[in-house]
Amino acid sequence: MLLVLDTNEYIFAFGLAKKQSCREVISLLEDKFPSHNIRISRLIVEEVRNNLSPEEFKEFILFINSLTKIDEDILVPFELAAKYEFQGFQPEDAFIAAYVEFVGADALVTENRHFLSREKELPFRVVTASEILAEL
Amino acid sequence: MNNSIEIRRQEAKKHFNRIRELVSQRPSPFEGMTEEQVIEQLRKTRKELWEKKLVARS
Repeated sequence: MLLVLDTNEYIFAFGLAKKQSCREVISLLEDKFPSHNIRISRLIVEEVRNNLSPEEFKEFILFINSLTKIDEDILVPFELAAKYEFQGFQPEDAFIAAYVEFVGADALVTENRHFLSREKELPFRVVTASEILAEL
Repeated sequence: MNNSIEIRRQEAKKHFNRIRELVSQRPSPFEGMTEEQVIEQLRKTRKELWEKKLVARS
């Protein structure tokens, strides 16, 4: 299964705020690599960076590079994001939706109810850490 | 099992654990916030970063 983890999953998993299921998802993805894998966009990397010290961020980049590579935002076709903006998504959320579609991920893992509540409008699944844990 | 895959798994675990260790040693910017407040703060950050990206490209 190919997954995109939203920023909040990393923040919770790293212990900046506590949510056990988010930590467990990352631990499980490490164990199941490469049967299950992740993709990450530059925007998500920058959002995570915003909450880490330089030393923590260095470790984050090494962590990401162990499992995947960072996709530059510019690779995502403008038209894909525009489609989601037209559906009423905020531009920044439209980009994330476009990114998940662009990389062909099976699901976006997020605790963000703004995404979770709109799953039916999206061509990929939107699940919480707890939900994906039951499947991995 | 492919040795390079196992090495990558171990590297990921090492760096993930190191991040958690470092984070545990300092105050969190989300201290005292509910889960919903943390998510709202992250949404605000996403909006700000995205707007900066757009300005940089225009």
